[in-house]
Amino acid sequence: MAKALPVREPRSIGRSLLLTLPIALWSALMFTPNWAHANRSFRIACLLTGGFMVVLFFLMMRTWKTYRWRRWFFVALGLLFPVGFIHNVIAMRGTMGIPIEEMIAGRTPFCFIPIPLLIVPAALTKTLVFPGSILPNGGMTGGMAAMAGIWLAVTIVVGKGWCSYACFFGGIEEGMAAVPAKAKVPIIDSRWRLGPWAVLLAMVLLSLALFEPAYCMWLCPFKAVSEYVAARNSVGLVQNGIFILLFATLVMALPLLTKKRTQCAFFCPFGAFQSIFNKTSVFEVKIDRTRCTPCVLCQKSCPTLALNDESIARGETLMSCMKCGACVDACPKDAAVWHIRGTEIAAKPERARLMFLYAAWAMAVMFGGTIIAEGLATILHLVL
Amino acid sequence: MATGFAFGEALGLGLASGPACVASCGPVLIPSLLAEHTGLRLHARYLSAFLATRLLGYLLFAGVAWEVGALVSLPAPARLWMFAIIHLLLGGALLWYAYRVGRECQRSCASSQLVTIGAGKHPVPGAAVLGFLTGVSLCPPFVAAGVRAAEAATVAGAILFFAVFFVGTSVWFLPFAGMGWIRRSEAVITVARMAMVLIAAYYLFSGLAILIRRF
Amino acid sequence: MLKNWSAKFGYTGAGLTVFAAILTPFLLYGLFTNAFASLGLHVDEMYSGGPKERTIPAAGYSIDIHRQVSPHMLQREKAFVQLDWRPATALPSHVSDVVDIDGDGKPDVRVSFDVPKDPKAPLRVDVDSLNPRYQAMHNVGKQKFSELIVRVDDAILVRIPVTQ
Repeated sequence: MAKALPVREPRSIGRSLLLTLPIALWSALMFTPNWAHANRSFRIACLLTGGFMVVLFFLMMRTWKTYRWRRWFFVALGLLFPVGFIHNVIAMRGTMGIPIEEMIAGRTPFCFIPIPLLIVPAALTKTLVFPGSILPNGGMTGGMAAMAGIWLAVTIVVGKGWCSYACFFGGIEEGMAAVPAKAKVPIIDSRWRLGPWAVLLAMVLLSLALFEPAYCMWLCPFKAVSEYVAARNSVGLVQNGIFILLFATLVMALPLLTKKRTQCAFFCPFGAFQSIFNKTSVFEVKIDRTRCTPCVLCQKSCPTLALNDESIARGETLMSCMKCGACVDACPKDAAVWHIRGTEIAAKPERARLMFLYAAWAMAVMFGGTIIAEGLATILHLVL
Repeated sequence: MATGFAFGEALGLGLASGPACVASCGPVLIPSLLAEHTGLRLHARYLSAFLATRLLGYLLFAGVAWEVGALVSLPAPARLWMFAIIHLLLGGALLWYAYRVGRECQRSCASSQLVTIGAGKHPVPGAAVLGFLTGVSLCPPFVAAGVRAAEAATVAGAILFFAVFFVGTSVWFLPFAGMGWIRRSEAVITVARMAMVLIAAYYLFSGLAILIRRF
Repeated sequence: MLKNWSAKFGYTGAGLTVFAAILTPFLLYGLFTNAFASLGLHVDEMYSGGPKERTIPAAGYSIDIHRQVSPHMLQREKAFVQLDWRPATALPSHVSDVVDIDGDGKPDVRVSFDVPKDPKAPLRVDVDSLNPRYQAMHNVGKQKFSELIVRVDDAILVRIPVTQ
């Protein structure tokens, strides 16, 4: 096997700071608007979160690496979202269970995962099969329109990068996958990566037939860290049992055993839906065939099996690529590179990475950063 | 005998109910269609088998229910039993179908034959089994047609009403033959099989839940 | 030359994407949110209860009658009509009202329920059917969307299944 390239010297501190400056300004812009009305805990949380995001970006610039620093942000998001959310839910109604009154009042918080399930019933009958409100209704979130708006904006910017820079659930399993030094189950049948498409197809069809958000009612593992329909009968108890089981296996146990984001890679229907937008995104990851040996380190490092032998031979990732940067960071020959469609592969990969990161990190600060700050503020408020 | 007016009414009811019929049959129809191989003709044969046995299911139910006076007011316990059993059978049929797709792909994925299920020397096309089971499942459009067909003076009239109603709903199924143009790969068939397993799990649970509550 | 133009388009697209990211909190987010809200979609009436059709005044409170809601596709719920008693704070400790739901001048149902002082206390309702179109209910709580009594904010909602 050819030798790996020598480890690149870190970028100079001055240049790294210069490149970080736009993100620092952006963070200040995002975290200070409500300064006057915020309480002490929230101000401290905003300062800490803003600093955290800026430091991570600086490290991305200094070390030329993306994945290991992005992962800190994503795990923080995955851990702190439930803190803020569950605290708010319990403060509002005293329980994580959604009572039927809240559903009738249209105050069920809307997350992004049911978006693909609502499209067909809405297109056919102009009806949203979700017990929420389109506009803010005194509930916890800004209504379904607000989540749809943020989803569309972030998707236009980063495509399936949503799964690496915006999803407030994925960080939990990314954190679990990072815990063990080695995978106990190193080999996974690649057909399992088709699971999300099967779940998407099944849930879209069942949602239309039953006229309910079938994934939310039956299969969402993240009800364990957000909220769930309060069981009113034995069917409700079974539904709650299913989500606990799925959380324990797909989000906790399997990432520990495989060091992969198993829920994202093998189950999440929203991830399959977002894969479509990888075709429209201007940023992508490519494999420079002139430099690739192939050592398949990229394939082994990918947390969602978005690289296989055929795709590497074609010089590209699969549709399920989340643009997390793991393969680019792992490649010893600089063959896996960030790329802008239409440009030559590996002509200016760092420019492509920078442009992508400015867009993606801006989204991350705006959306994920706010959620982190809220979670942190909740903890500080309880402690201080 | 059904009058011209009733004929038009049956057809109109069928056409209006078609989207709901497609939505209710969709979880069964679409994954099983996707699991078939590429080819317009193959898909046309699938739909023919599916719709033919769906019609058989309709007519069988119409004839039996009319005779026992149950078209309008099928007692709730009986309706629940039927619902549960049909859901269990649908779940079982989907699982078997998914298994058979896997077996047949191991021999050759370029088959021009419909996927078959059933043991013995004469396996039945899976499309036929699924079509029959969806035909006897008591979906709301079916129940609505039953209420109207109960007004027929004879069992022949009721059966004719259901047959015309069926024609109206089937118009909405014909475009699905176009799925034959989707190029099948091992990935597409794998997705279809996995989806069938998930949907089968739902039907099995749904049927069991009804039975458990009955006991 | 084609490569040059292709690269130019690529970088332009990338630049526009970065620009879109900057514009998101100031323009795009609001634009997309308003666009979605203006699509004319509505939340499934099985949850929302359907639009209000008319109001019947009573002694110190009123009864809102909503349009009948029918199930879609394979929804397992029955068709129902929702009645709201509001404001809940003005209701007597026991409510027993005869209601003309369809507005034909004839009484359709008698609805009876106790109003506990604690707004979080569970509610139970009895409905006597005076018109076979509306199903009777006995000691019903909140088991199903189509057949329940709940308190939502300052109103008590009763949903009565409709025979179809």
